[in-house]
Amino acid sequence: MPEITYIEAIRQGLFEVMRAHPDVVLYGEDVGAFGGAFKATLGLQKEFGKERVFDTPICESAMLGVAIGMATQGLRPIVELQFADFITTALHQLLNNAGTLHYRTGVPVPMVIRAPCGGGFSGGPFHSEELEAIFCHMPGIKVVYPAFPCDARNLLHTAVMDNSPVVFLENKYLYRHIKEAIPAKHDPLPFGKARICRNGRDATVITYGAMVNETLHAARDLIDDTGYDITVVDLRSLKPYDKDTIMAAVASTNRVLIVHEAWHTCGFGAEIAAHIAENAFHLLDAPVRRLTAPDCPVPFAPVLEERYRPNSAKIVSALVDLIEY
Amino acid sequence: MTDATSITPSHRALNASDAACTPVNGDKDRYVGMLRTMLRSRFTDERLNRLYKQGHITGGVYSSIGQEAIGAATTAAGQPQDLYAPLIRNMAVHVGRGETVLDVFRQWLGRGGSPTRGRDGNIHYGTFSHGVYAMISHLGAMLPVVVGGVMARRRLGVDAVGFAYIGDGGSSTGDFHEAINFAAVFSVPVIFIIENNKYAYSTPIAGQFRCERLIDRAPGYGLEGFSADGNDALALYRLVHPLAADIRAKPRPIMIECDTMRMRGHGEHDDFTYVPPKLLERYRARDPIAVASNHLKAEGVLTAAEIESLTQACQAEVDLAYRTAMNEPPPNPDTLLDGVYANA
Repeated sequence: MPEITYIEAIRQGLFEVMRAHPDVVLYGEDVGAFGGAFKATLGLQKEFGKERVFDTPICESAMLGVAIGMATQGLRPIVELQFADFITTALHQLLNNAGTLHYRTGVPVPMVIRAPCGGGFSGGPFHSEELEAIFCHMPGIKVVYPAFPCDARNLLHTAVMDNSPVVFLENKYLYRHIKEAIPAKHDPLPFGKARICRNGRDATVITYGAMVNETLHAARDLIDDTGYDITVVDLRSLKPYDKDTIMAAVASTNRVLIVHEAWHTCGFGAEIAAHIAENAFHLLDAPVRRLTAPDCPVPFAPVLEERYRPNSAKIVSALVDLIEY
Repeated sequence: MTDATSITPSHRALNASDAACTPVNGDKDRYVGMLRTMLRSRFTDERLNRLYKQGHITGGVYSSIGQEAIGAATTAAGQPQDLYAPLIRNMAVHVGRGETVLDVFRQWLGRGGSPTRGRDGNIHYGTFSHGVYAMISHLGAMLPVVVGGVMARRRLGVDAVGFAYIGDGGSSTGDFHEAINFAAVFSVPVIFIIENNKYAYSTPIAGQFRCERLIDRAPGYGLEGFSADGNDALALYRLVHPLAADIRAKPRPIMIECDTMRMRGHGEHDDFTYVPPKLLERYRARDPIAVASNHLKAEGVLTAAEIESLTQACQAEVDLAYRTAMNEPPPNPDTLLDGVYANA
């Protein structure tokens, strides 16, 4: 099996769903001949034509509104946001229009919003944001966030064939930093299924996105340096999220650290912590801990962003604190 | 600076009194249909107002009274495969597209059998089988939806045209700009119908924009723009019908600004004392139902007796519909979570 990068897996998934389903169209800023700001769509317009793959003006709200119109009339649009940060000029289309439409009218809205997010490369405040908590708060919207090339490809297939609006979060740092061997054919992967990346006895880390790989790095360092053995849960899907896997991991380790790259207050980790507190209080040997970005805009200067963003060293430190509580 | 009290239609692209007005046979049914649409819309609004003041309708009532000609003419000018996105003053679009008056009352009364199954109220509904989108309250938001819907239908081989409605207030939103520009870039056949009814809630058009006419914006988007008398259904139909056929064959968006007047408050809770009485009087003298009735009599399409008979039939239909809806049950609270997501 060939090894391909995270972004190559997304691109391959796009080719596959567009070949298999003539009702899929894809559009966004610079996604046509140029192939997108990150080249996720390179070659798609050449194969599928300008009718199915096209550049739009800069108009995030119209892009999402148009997708709602298409999705309710027989197409399955995929919208590429150039950066997840830019969706804030279109949130009413997602929250109030796409998210309520099936509930109000009974008409499905099969649309996918691909949103590159995350920092770690000096993108500054407007090209690095992690906004998953905003999306997860919205009724009627599904949210997925793969951390590995195979999962990205498989979840893309699931997202496109889902009949509800899906926010498909892609991590820009992972785009070219992670490779994985990929089989010839994609595997069905339903939403709401976490992956247990490794099993350990001493604590569980619940995470997603770029922090999965930071956590795996931390877990390797930790067992080498201290002998502490960590379970790592990659949620993959944030709404719905896999409550059964979380509960099983809590039961087997009794200590939980939640790690995400997004802001602290009302971040997605707060939801996970609350769920564990409500349902697994009796299983805990230590308080649930969160390691997140602080509540400040994403900074530009590398030394500031280094301080801002969680990484494997910070995860190691938080785990030692948790295990030695 | 534009003043609400001094607005006049700057030109009328077509006027019933200008054209050779003898209707061809095929048009007679449409003319009568337009009057029927306006009557059903008006009587429905009047009944909704009463039901609200009697405490049967919760939330609020927002009427289309005085603006019925626009929905009547633009639905008469369309075809079954077309897509419509009515807004708050477009009761005539709903009934003109064939949605039943009974469903209108079910919707406003929040009945379990309403088009939204009690999940949304008042004007926030639409039935896809009639090509009508269910609006959300965020103004401008439905404009790109119609653009996308028409793009999809045409991609699937249906020669649809879109009819997207917006007010003078809604024309200030970002979505207005984004949607029209998007439709222009992709040559999507959508008619953007601006209903200039002079007030957005309590704000007159002088507080909304500084161009002389909203239609002056059309060339800025590369669009043809047309001014029309929004209270003259026949004239508006004679403008829109050929334009719809033209953009169906040669796809492109166009913009039409309709001069009209909101004859009630924003909602029935609003006494609209901020509207100068003289302005209301001027438009009351051009009530769309009276204007159309006079044209139809003058053109020999209908006699006074036939109009009276049509009026009584529409009133009876509305009365039967509201009584029926009043006796229907509310939604079952156990269905609260049904349908948040579509089946996979």
